[in-house]
Amino acid sequence: MPKSPLEKTVESGISFLSKIFPLQSYLYFPLLNASLFWAIKRTKEWKEKVFSWKVWLDPERVHVKPDDFILCFFKDHPALMRCFEPEVRKKDMASLRKSFVRLYPLLGLEDPFLSALFHQEMESGDYRKIVKEFDQKVRQAEEDINELKNQSQLIRGLKDFAGEMVSLNLELLSQEKVQKVIAEVIKKQIGSKNE
Amino acid sequence: MNKVYPWEKAVGREKRPVAFFVLLLFICFALFSSCASHLREAKLHYTQGQEYSRLYQTEEALGSFKNALQEAERVVSKHPSSQAYMLKGMAELKLKLWQSAEESFRLAHSHGFEKGEEWAQQVSLLGLALSLEELWVEESSLRIYIFLIQKSKLSPVTILAAERYTDAMLRKALRQEGKEREKLLASALKTAQKLSDGDLSCGFYHYLCSQILSHLADYGKSFESALMAKELGLPTEEVYRDNDLQIVYCYQKLKEELASKEWEGFQRKYMEWVKRWKWKGPETPSWQKERQR
Repeated sequence: MPKSPLEKTVESGISFLSKIFPLQSYLYFPLLNASLFWAIKRTKEWKEKVFSWKVWLDPERVHVKPDDFILCFFKDHPALMRCFEPEVRKKDMASLRKSFVRLYPLLGLEDPFLSALFHQEMESGDYRKIVKEFDQKVRQAEEDINELKNQSQLIRGLKDFAGEMVSLNLELLSQEKVQKVIAEVIKKQIGSKNE
Repeated sequence: MNKVYPWEKAVGREKRPVAFFVLLLFICFALFSSCASHLREAKLHYTQGQEYSRLYQTEEALGSFKNALQEAERVVSKHPSSQAYMLKGMAELKLKLWQSAEESFRLAHSHGFEKGEEWAQQVSLLGLALSLEELWVEESSLRIYIFLIQKSKLSPVTILAAERYTDAMLRKALRQEGKEREKLLASALKTAQKLSDGDLSCGFYHYLCSQILSHLADYGKSFESALMAKELGLPTEEVYRDNDLQIVYCYQKLKEELASKEWEGFQRKYMEWVKRWKWKGPETPSWQKERQR
């Protein structure tokens, strides 16, 4: 089957990133997804948002949500509820609050970078793994990107990718569908490389 | 042999001093107009930034403030003046460069801007409160935030102080129970309401009110404040989304709480808002992925 323009653009984005981050393929999806999200959303100053490693929303605000808001958040997501049922039933707020701080930016606010970084865990519904590995994985991503010497080359490449994606009139497709295509193409590309 | 300059040939020996004076005047004028143009550019970018801020286009606003700062820096490096330093300080304030802003306001004061000293003190106090908070010195930082909320006329300082004060009060309230907790929440609410009464068009103050009201389980008022915040606009995408989720949360709580007749009336009006906001459903904002509930 011939490749769609969307798939071709994603492939060129991956090919660019594989030159910059040959060993950190886990960064491809978060970087491409965040670039696309901010390119569609806002045209200026987008790179700062792509590199906003901090959890969305002022971290303090996430910490000071009422207990009931946190309980509702867990009850409102069936998969999350299944995973954290014992704590929700016992109203173990200390433990739920700790998990909420990590999960709310992904499942509540839908941060484009973080939700792509934990894409696999979200797909498999392994929310406990996200909570457990959140701090370490976000820190690792931050370090890997900060260590890159040629930051401007990365910005240029991501900007080109985002520009091409925007020119494909992606508004016609839902963000979810585009995300799915990006994830699938990355999976395919990395899979064929590993074989 | 004396060198003869082209302008000497053109004007003749007796008119040379006059021509030299005219040339000097021209150079001065060119220098001055270049400086004035940088100042004008700085003002223009700053005004544009304010306009973007008013429309809550945060990224565009930041871009304009950065441009304003660059232009102001050019002016102060060549022709320092109170106006240029004040403009530099204002741009730095918007970019949250607290220390630089404090220094700029002090320099503006030393060049004759009367309020510069007072503004510099306020920025310095805000920086101190932020540092104290980082070091877990809660009470002193709270006192400074309250002082700034009451006294500061600089809106970026007041807004940040209000935000930090509310978060600190909510943090304190979560550690308490019963009457002590209610007292803290009532105090935080009073401050936030006073701020929103003073500046009704600031969506962010309504957002803070809505957050506090949900701690007090007053979901009707929390909903109204969140609705006001959404309609007036919020500063960032993340706060905007959090406010949407607050609206959904209040809707769910009111569904549990209200008597059937009251609920019907509320739901009818709520659905009109949902239509207006082009949400996917009463519990799904337009930006949110649809999921099974």
